[in-house]
Amino acid sequence: MALEDLRATVTRCSRCSYCKWIPFAHVKSWRFAKGCPSIEYNKFQSYSASGRLCASLSLLEERSSYFDEGLVDIVFKCMLDGCCDVACKINRYDFEPVEVMRQMRFKMIDNGCYPPQDMPLIDHLKKEDNMMMAAKADRANWAEGLGVKDLTEEKAEVVFHVGCRFSFDEELWRVPRTVVDLLNKAGVDFGILGKDENCCGGRVCDMGYRGEFIKYAENNIDAWKNAGVKTVVTGCSDCYHAFKRLYPEEMEFNFEVVHITEYIERLINEGKLKFTKEVPMTITYHDPCHLGRRGEAHVPWKGEQKKVRGHVLVWEPRRPRYNGAQGVYETPRNVLKSIPGVKLVEMERNREYAWCCGAGAGVRERYPDFSEWTAGERIEEAKASGAEAIVSACPHCERNFMDAVAEKNESLKVFDILDLVREAI
Amino acid sequence: MNILVCMKQVPDPQASSSGTTVDSEAKKVIMPQGTPPVLNPYDENALEAALKIKDAQGAKVTVISAGKNMAKTVLRKSIAVGADDLILLEDAAFENMNSYETAHVLVAAIKEIGEYDLILCGRQAADTDAGQVGSGIASILNLPCVTAACKLDISDGKAMVQRVVSDGFEDVEAPLPAVITASSEIGEMRYPGVKEIMAAQKVRITSRKASDLGVDVSQLKKPNLVSLDSPPGRTTDCQMVEAETPEEAGADLAVKVRESQIL
Repeated sequence: MALEDLRATVTRCSRCSYCKWIPFAHVKSWRFAKGCPSIEYNKFQSYSASGRLCASLSLLEERSSYFDEGLVDIVFKCMLDGCCDVACKINRYDFEPVEVMRQMRFKMIDNGCYPPQDMPLIDHLKKEDNMMMAAKADRANWAEGLGVKDLTEEKAEVVFHVGCRFSFDEELWRVPRTVVDLLNKAGVDFGILGKDENCCGGRVCDMGYRGEFIKYAENNIDAWKNAGVKTVVTGCSDCYHAFKRLYPEEMEFNFEVVHITEYIERLINEGKLKFTKEVPMTITYHDPCHLGRRGEAHVPWKGEQKKVRGHVLVWEPRRPRYNGAQGVYETPRNVLKSIPGVKLVEMERNREYAWCCGAGAGVRERYPDFSEWTAGERIEEAKASGAEAIVSACPHCERNFMDAVAEKNESLKVFDILDLVREAI
Repeated sequence: MNILVCMKQVPDPQASSSGTTVDSEAKKVIMPQGTPPVLNPYDENALEAALKIKDAQGAKVTVISAGKNMAKTVLRKSIAVGADDLILLEDAAFENMNSYETAHVLVAAIKEIGEYDLILCGRQAADTDAGQVGSGIASILNLPCVTAACKLDISDGKAMVQRVVSDGFEDVEAPLPAVITASSEIGEMRYPGVKEIMAAQKVRITSRKASDLGVDVSQLKKPNLVSLDSPPGRTTDCQMVEAETPEEAGADLAVKVRESQIL
């Protein structure tokens, strides 16, 4: 949907500021009542969803230009975590603040107006097919010695898409290695694309580079087709969002997409995975934005906007509504609850109104201070919950929390769900 | 030594081909949404050639670019890699210029600069592939022009150029000032670090409009683009040759290729 098609959202925002907070009914304390890291950090209206709608209206009406100074900072200093979208839709049923922000980014990129610090990252991505500034040839180093089937040479129904962060962040290699171990134990016929695996393109799309995203989506789909793949399993929430929501939005997509937590829950329910050891620990679960509120599956829809009673805008047929309710929230919690000894406590902001980790949509790379501050806020919230560890289901969240904990010299532990699963087997 | 490098901002030639469409009515190529413009890769080669001369014997490298609504972040990359000055010729009249108009506009800026020993361009632009601007500038300024350079040495007021030709290479000597267009073999542009990229954003650049240069593009005689169409669609028929051994498969494949008159 182009920015021009979102004029109704842009013009009809009543500036209620709901987008800045978590839904009021869920506020438990003033300290953790905010929902939007961007407005909280930058403390200026333009950095809220409402302010960005205002900026996009100005662009649509040509009162300002994509080349205006300051606009790059306003448009790109945001993780597109979508908390604003969830809160907004409580008041305004069919508003699409995140979609407006995505479209603004696409337009800015089309005009060559983007944060200059993107340049090395995007140029590197084009050459090495990853977002980690690493060499493509090293992509499968994490799997050394595991004897995983190489889907560039063999066929399998399940592909384990590892993702850029897990492939190159050595401290996190234990997670994909555990996935391999689990899938082997469960007798799943699976493989990896190894050093020929490409970036999913999801993050780069959120950053505004949709053109790059399209290339990677096409390449990945081709590679999976050639390998006879039917199911894509991933442990990364960014990749999950890309496959579940973005790919089917853009092109024909006939693969089942499963996050590793969903796969583990399936194995537990089928009795293929049993926990035998206690993991005595009080933990809290951080919902990754791209697995939770932004991880809702794409629903095909074609229709048009109409006016009824002269002024009420409606979509015909009724448009699918993405308000975060259908994200993956209970599955990771079910896995954690099934581990003996684990005591799960909730942070004040959880599920579709969780606070972002700070890494999304290129903020970690573009604005490291803002990213670290956002992670630090979540660490404070996790500590306030009484947990001794924060557990997530996304390598990007985990890396950001690990860095923030180290920077603040905190004792809070950071785990992936797979870490606890491994301990319990 | 003063080196002028003419650079063009182009749609990314590495963009997804399936997402790129042609609007025949507007005679425009539509890039996939969310695709940033880039520096023309051959122009990057030209800039690298200039920077090598600067490294070896010292030179002032000035980059000139013409257009409308130019992406300054992209063009400032030239400063990040080592250019000393960036002159943007920016005007609504400079939108969608053809090679002839572009050469005239660039020449107006070059004349205003006045002092130059060498003018470098890319051999062609990645969007139009016309390859006319370099020789156009040389023609208007009445300077010697060497195209498709893959090696460049400057000494004793002369340019020793090796050119790429269809069956090998050609060595040419040209007196300075001269216009030389660079081919990719001359070297990929060096890569700037984030520090250099960020520092380049703060460097003051010069902007000139059509009126500053005294150029009236509408008065220039020019060839018109008559039509722009998508390439004809291709259909692919993939037949797998099944055989017991690779040798048999190879033999069967050869027969099939001959039967279908591909070879």
